[in-house]
Amino acid sequence: MSHALRFAVVALGVASVALAGPRWLRVAQREHYQVDAVSRFALRWWTRVPVNGAGLAVAVVGLMLSARWPAGALATAVVVAAGPVGLSWRGRTSPLAWTRRLRTLALVWAGLEAAAVAGGTVAGEGPVAAAGAALAVPALVDLACALTAPIERLLGAKYVTRATARLRRVAPTVVAITGSFGKTSTKGYVTHLVGAWRSVVASPASFNNRAGLARAVNEHLADGTEVFVAEMGAYDRGEIAQLCSWVRPDVAVITAVGPVHLERFGSEDRVLQAKAEILEGAPCAVLVIDDERLAVLADTCADRGTRVWRVSGLDPSADVAAVEGDGVVAVWVKGELVAPAVPVDARPGNVAAAIAVALELGVPIDAVLARLATLPTTPHRLEQSTGPGGVTVLDDTYNANPAGTRAALAALARRGDGAARRVVVTPGMVELGPRQAEENARFAAAAAAVATDLVVVGRTNRRALVRGARGAAPAGGSLRLVVVRTRHQATEWVRGHLGTGDVVLYENDLPDHYP
Amino acid sequence: MNVSTAKVAVAFGGPSPEHDVSILTGLQALRELDGARRDVTGLYWSKTGDWYRVEAALEAADFIDGVPRGAQSLQLVTGGDGAGFVAGAGRLGRTRPLPVDAVVNCCHGGPGEDGTLQAALDLAAIAYTGPSVAAAALGMDKLAFAGVARAAGLPVLPRVLLAPGGDAPALGFAGPYILKPRFGGSSIGVEVVADSDTALGRLDANPHLRAGAVVEPYREDLFDLNVAARSWPRPELSAVERPLRTTSAAEILGYADKYVGGEGMASAPRQLPAQIPPALTAALHDAARTVLRLADVRGVARIDFLSDGESLFVNEVNTVPGSLARYLWVDPPIPFIDLLDAMIGEALSGPAARFSVAGADGTVLRRAGGIAGKLA
Repeated sequence: MSHALRFAVVALGVASVALAGPRWLRVAQREHYQVDAVSRFALRWWTRVPVNGAGLAVAVVGLMLSARWPAGALATAVVVAAGPVGLSWRGRTSPLAWTRRLRTLALVWAGLEAAAVAGGTVAGEGPVAAAGAALAVPALVDLACALTAPIERLLGAKYVTRATARLRRVAPTVVAITGSFGKTSTKGYVTHLVGAWRSVVASPASFNNRAGLARAVNEHLADGTEVFVAEMGAYDRGEIAQLCSWVRPDVAVITAVGPVHLERFGSEDRVLQAKAEILEGAPCAVLVIDDERLAVLADTCADRGTRVWRVSGLDPSADVAAVEGDGVVAVWVKGELVAPAVPVDARPGNVAAAIAVALELGVPIDAVLARLATLPTTPHRLEQSTGPGGVTVLDDTYNANPAGTRAALAALARRGDGAARRVVVTPGMVELGPRQAEENARFAAAAAAVATDLVVVGRTNRRALVRGARGAAPAGGSLRLVVVRTRHQATEWVRGHLGTGDVVLYENDLPDHYP
Repeated sequence: MNVSTAKVAVAFGGPSPEHDVSILTGLQALRELDGARRDVTGLYWSKTGDWYRVEAALEAADFIDGVPRGAQSLQLVTGGDGAGFVAGAGRLGRTRPLPVDAVVNCCHGGPGEDGTLQAALDLAAIAYTGPSVAAAALGMDKLAFAGVARAAGLPVLPRVLLAPGGDAPALGFAGPYILKPRFGGSSIGVEVVADSDTALGRLDANPHLRAGAVVEPYREDLFDLNVAARSWPRPELSAVERPLRTTSAAEILGYADKYVGGEGMASAPRQLPAQIPPALTAALHDAARTVLRLADVRGVARIDFLSDGESLFVNEVNTVPGSLARYLWVDPPIPFIDLLDAMIGEALSGPAARFSVAGADGTVLRRAGGIAGKLA
């Protein structure tokens, strides 16, 4: 009898593992198979949402009891199979895709789970092992990520080899762009400014790591391409150096350094070190010196013989400067005013960087200036449209850094007349490590100064945002604070409450593997 | 071979500036043939020149990032027993040939429309729709085509070669000028310039013009008139179309008008049939029938004219037109599948070009005697 019970408990434990697996595998996929990501997200999901916290307590107690009473494992199994509430199995924003890499990961993970349950059962502790294996799904997915990482590097090497050969054959001038933010926009500007003069291929939007750049080269870098604009992203030191070992930059650009991906980097110093790797070996560097650290870096580069373009969004005496005023941009080259008022709706520092790259590549200044007024807008980066009902929508949902939020709030403040409602809809920013709560609180406070309504989406940053907004609102102030669970509920609220002339800023959007 | 049971492969993409619009044309043809339950497969030619077998159900969006998910890598082998499209060396190094009776060529504006792909398919002995090597090369060379048309007595505007380096040539006609790539599709890289010095300056600047450019007088009073033509099952012309310009700033019908914001050429704004005097229609049809023979039209071609409402000028022939010009066959209406069937029937009826060794019977070699002896 007891034997049958134990067997049933183990079977249910295994079933709950099977149900929980896809959920956490999807998180691994969304977080680029970073080794500790799944455990971090598990912690977030189980502790931030009250009902999940209760579930977690039940699951842990069940596990502890299961040593004496096998039925205790049942509680754990049920919780793990059903929870955490809110983390969807398939995903709304980005469904689970059974790629080759994910299948490999799933196989290794399943092997680890099977080994844990089988080992425990052989040792006579089947129920404990089953409950433990169920609770440890996120940790074991992380372990599987760690185990498969070397295999993935090996498999990826094949594509990198092909890409290296193609780069050698096509032999384009390579412009490599990195930065904590602004790199995608700058890439678009460079492509636009140089494109009328030389045949240009840019790496597609999110193809900014080793596998992505290899794919961009293998599938997009056609014969005859003269300029290849490569966006380079990094989550750790050494990654950009690795990229530059085969995508050798002729012109290296750093747009900005800021507190992004701090959870993975640890500190902004390490962000700076990682970004600076792009400059090693590049004969020419373009640096936005509005950040003091990049100004120092520019001097270091110049000292070792690199040709340096110091560009700025503020200082007209920089090599290239684009300085904003009254909604237009004045362009300065080598201290000379070359265009007093270009209508540009873009971050001036990025524009200055793109102009410098174009000039470095031999595009005449007249040709550059002629294209400046038609710079492409980057989708979801302060993109303005008019929604149903005449509401002005500022879509800044791809923005996730403090500097970007300040620019977005400034843009919001400029729009709408005195009577207009100005609404900020946001889930806050993530990946800011130890500074996340503080930065979000500060952002909410700044939003409260500009907006009439603040709609806080989700639970990831709810506490910090609400605290920041409450702290800043004048006593008996007029800020309306709305708290919703999903983006969908937020847009419903906007539809129901706003009308012609009102302005809504959608600041950042989190994929639905965030609580 | 029966058209409805033939194994058909729709080729699209390619290392061309019109790679993206070719995907639209290819997917339209693929979907139509698949809907008619034909034995059809997609052949995607990547920007970097690699071949892939793709499913008929794909959407344009699947190609935004590059090669779509699930695509199977192929190689085009041009000689030997294993010639044709071959699925790459898989397990145990074995290759599997992809059986293809006819390729429906939907590649625009580059090596699919200039004879390059045609040459490879000829060498691999694969039947294909659309122009032969020679006809494709002629259609792609705006200078040569204008010369051929002029020699046949057709009305054409002056068209002069503009080569990089040197002084601005004496053009013999007044500006403003329209500057076009000598080789290329019909709408990419075209510019209007005020004088010949500016034209010369643009040669270096515009990457599309660097391989050579032609200059014509730019006349604001001229508008476009297009007609589709085919030779199979019998010589035939479509209704005449007058494309309408929407991009306000553009002086000429540009790429954006034709392709951006819709299903390619099939959804561009137009007047169809064009409201023009009957005499103009008749003259256009006469000229188009001459071009049909001159350009050796195979598959469906689109012949573009310019007119001021009275006189007419032959502009160019597009031998693999956008959307295969399916939208022009309205009078009498010809369904897309019937157009495709006719093209496939034509392809199956015989190769676009035949190699011949007649006359290479050894006589010359016998008479030559010993080369070594003569060199001594």
